[in-house]
Amino acid sequence: MKLLVAIVVALTCVASHGAAQEPESRRVPWSDGIVELAESLPVQDGGRVKPLHTFASFTLLRLNGKRSLTTPSGERLGPTEWLLDILVFPQTAIGYRQFLVQNDEVIAAIGLSVDERKKRDRYTFEELRPGVGRLFELARQYTLIEEADRSSVQQQVVHLANNVDEFMRLAGHLDFARMRLRVGAEPEVAELFDASVVPFHAVVRAAPGLHELADGVAGRGEALAILRAAADVGGASGSLALLPPVAPVDDEPSWLTPDDVFYRSYDEGRLADEHAEALRSFVALVDARLDPGAFERELAGLHARLTGLAEARGEYASVGLEVAYYKAKLLSWSLYLFVFAFLGLAFLWLRPRAKVLYAGISGVAGIATLLLIAAIVVRCVIRGRPPVSTLYETVLFVTCVGAIVGLAVEAVNRRRLALSAAAIFGMIGLFIANGYELLDKQDTMPSLVAVLDTNFWLATHVTSITIGYSAGMFAALLGSLYLLAKLARFKRDDRAFYKGLARMVYGVLCFGLLFSLIGTILGGIWANDSWGRFWGWDPKENGALLICIVQIAILHARMGGFLRDHGVCAAAAFGGTVVAFSWWGVNLLGVGLHSYGFTSGIHDALWTYYLVQWAIVGLGGVAWLLERRNAAADRLRAVPGRPPEEIAESKAA
Amino acid sequence: MRVLLDGFLRVFSSLALSVALLLMLGLLTWLGTLEQVDHGLFEVQKRYFESFFLVHHAGSIPIPLPGANLVLCLLFVNLAVGGMARMRRDRRTAGILIAHAGILILLLSGFVKMYFSDDGHVTLFEDQRANHFESYYRWEIAIAEDLGDGRLREHVVPQEDFADAQGDRTARLGSPELPFEVEVSHYMPNSRPTPKGPMFEVAVPVVDGVFLQGRELAAEAETNIAGAYVSVVERDGTRTDGILWGMDAHPLTVTAGGKDWAIDLRHERYAMPFTIELEKFTKVDHPRINMPKEFSSDVAVIEGEASRPVKISMNEPLREAGLVLYQASWGPGGARPGDRLFSTLSVVRNPADKLPLYACIVIAAGLVIHFTRKLAGYVRREAGA
Repeated sequence: MKLLVAIVVALTCVASHGAAQEPESRRVPWSDGIVELAESLPVQDGGRVKPLHTFASFTLLRLNGKRSLTTPSGERLGPTEWLLDILVFPQTAIGYRQFLVQNDEVIAAIGLSVDERKKRDRYTFEELRPGVGRLFELARQYTLIEEADRSSVQQQVVHLANNVDEFMRLAGHLDFARMRLRVGAEPEVAELFDASVVPFHAVVRAAPGLHELADGVAGRGEALAILRAAADVGGASGSLALLPPVAPVDDEPSWLTPDDVFYRSYDEGRLADEHAEALRSFVALVDARLDPGAFERELAGLHARLTGLAEARGEYASVGLEVAYYKAKLLSWSLYLFVFAFLGLAFLWLRPRAKVLYAGISGVAGIATLLLIAAIVVRCVIRGRPPVSTLYETVLFVTCVGAIVGLAVEAVNRRRLALSAAAIFGMIGLFIANGYELLDKQDTMPSLVAVLDTNFWLATHVTSITIGYSAGMFAALLGSLYLLAKLARFKRDDRAFYKGLARMVYGVLCFGLLFSLIGTILGGIWANDSWGRFWGWDPKENGALLICIVQIAILHARMGGFLRDHGVCAAAAFGGTVVAFSWWGVNLLGVGLHSYGFTSGIHDALWTYYLVQWAIVGLGGVAWLLERRNAAADRLRAVPGRPPEEIAESKAA
Repeated sequence: MRVLLDGFLRVFSSLALSVALLLMLGLLTWLGTLEQVDHGLFEVQKRYFESFFLVHHAGSIPIPLPGANLVLCLLFVNLAVGGMARMRRDRRTAGILIAHAGILILLLSGFVKMYFSDDGHVTLFEDQRANHFESYYRWEIAIAEDLGDGRLREHVVPQEDFADAQGDRTARLGSPELPFEVEVSHYMPNSRPTPKGPMFEVAVPVVDGVFLQGRELAAEAETNIAGAYVSVVERDGTRTDGILWGMDAHPLTVTAGGKDWAIDLRHERYAMPFTIELEKFTKVDHPRINMPKEFSSDVAVIEGEASRPVKISMNEPLREAGLVLYQASWGPGGARPGDRLFSTLSVVRNPADKLPLYACIVIAAGLVIHFTRKLAGYVRREAGA
């Protein structure tokens, strides 16, 4: 219902503007100064205060599938520039191809033509507009179906409807600042204003007086009409809470939209001067839209006003840092460097004695790891939380710990193996992190539900469990390398190479068991403190237990001589799928207290990993059988009296 | 005899048994996790984890398996004999021994919790008070005697005494203090009273036009509502038939031996040594979105004349007189701002409450000692090589 109301309002706004005047457009690109001011404006969204840049990035990602957009004139827009266009020049923005549709059946379903379009293509709001009514009607029907039961097209219809709705809300957001009302037909109304054509903020100021008139007789009609008009444009502004309250955070946690300010004045006769001035600044900003210099000056004024209010509440401290975090692209650079190190390692394995190359690649992998550490630390500072509180952050942290472990082992044994594994691990981990972000399309620093609001347990239980995941995955990678090397008969006579590799797998397993076991028990202690039971056989708990059991079983089987090097490596490789099951798989089951996080679409990636990993374990078994057969053949050939050189030759052949 | 004992010790202390038990436990954990998708946590927990034997159905093929309870008991023995008593004791194994001791404590606390703890909840609106908590799952039949001066005397029958009276099987509940016996039949763990229409026949008795309809057990076990048919049989053979249902607003009333009696099927109750009153329930959402940031209950703990205020919130329970009270949930589900809310506090009586924490510390110490030793050895070898 709420959705439908918003549509009607936003639709009329966009439509009426298009019809009433020549479509005006921006003539020059947004200047760097304007973009810098706009992106660091604070906004309250998703339960927290964040920079407008973050809001714009994830919104654009949801609509367009990526964080940039190319206009019909070929200009490439970043998220903030794109959002500025929607807010200030909605008539231009409706012509941007910004709605990514994965399957043109969606377009056909809402009654539009898909001729000459690719199956997966981007559409403009203008193109979709004739089908918007049908789109929302379908979406309303499909949301009644459980998400798990929706077909792919149905899901995409819902997704597109949400995106179109979000776009229309943003396009209508500054309608309040574009509005001018002619007032004063009735003398009682004229008394409340000092001009005959007035903007929104003047109506907000006069709202208590208008309220009184509307309850009385004289001037009632005009007062009601003005209030209705203000409520209409105000209602369109409901999506961006840009106005911090004047009161301290504890008294008034929620930020305000222009609509809220209007209703507060109307209902309670409460209007802070700061808010009235802020609304006036928005009006001046929109008025200056065609003059870049004046626009920047007005934006600077508004920026100072809003950040001043946020700072007084202590809510602006990390906004600048967050803008810098996203602009520095630490994670992208880290990923590039890991890839670079990985490529370099291919050469290093061909030229084992190249000291400079070795030092260089170690350095690159080291810097990549440092960048990753820096990214995690900055995220901790921004949110004031320990490193892991969401599924996305587990990926970053697992990757980081794996890379650190690899580099540390390399520093001890200098066999190039741990270095290679660290680079591969870093590369794959950051690739997954990136993929997850693109798939999820939600802020990666969200608000947390009540039970997670505890830095102590996040720092202890979650961190140790995640280190356990990391070690388990890293051991699986090393074990897989062992099996693949055996299969490819790489360095087949270098027993020290395989011995060293197997010893690393063992070491990483021990390291992993320590953290998995402690983390799992700490989880129980946390559960005992917050739910009253230490252990409840919840799927996530069981997953953690499975990791511990597998690792303990491997160590005891090794102790008892049931598994030798080859077996330990194969078991560790298999253990990777147990970790993956615990880390991702149980979330897909959709039961239990821990089934948090967006996970549809992860299913395929997870099964790919299972199958690849099991295939490697299977091939490892084949390699073991082949090796045994060859060894038996060698023993047969090694008849007494035959010189050993000959045997070596026959092996080489 | 000696040979037998030696053989027994050899088998029970072997690493092969450890590995086999661990793998079996892993298999059970995995199956028990997947089964939860269809059967819910409570059922699976009973069948796979708290049992000694079970039959797992892989498709239509039945596979008999040992239950996790049995596996953990064997593991306990295996660990105590092989991993402690018969293990070599020197500097190299010190860490391992400590870690094994920690695991034994952990398993022990699990057994204590399973066999010696009670859990349930107390659900209160603001200004309500209670001096007992009730189980989420277990039922009891309470027979209340009107003493005539405004007081009631209750005779309580635990679930074990009537839960087997399913179908035509009956259970007779009685005591010398009662002038009658209560005959229970057709006990159903999940049921709904349904009016009997003229268009269909039912296989169970109909009382006053109503019969009890049995239902599948719910995946969320706390939503099951038990029901049963009862006959009150007086000494002279007079029978009064009735239906007991867990969510009935009123108990079944009978007059016998010149007194009024009320018979009620209800969730099992446990007395608390103090009274608790909910003074205020607070729920705070994150600003501008519908996601709870925190919820908490301000309660008064009343013992005799003394009363003191306590705040119970997520992650901060109240520990009092061997009981622990947690902020578990709130309701009603579709409440709007300004509606009267209730708060549900989970209550647990667990003698082993703190044992896992001690076990965790012991295990951590053991593993750190052992692995540090190993790591130091590894670094020395690599540096030497």
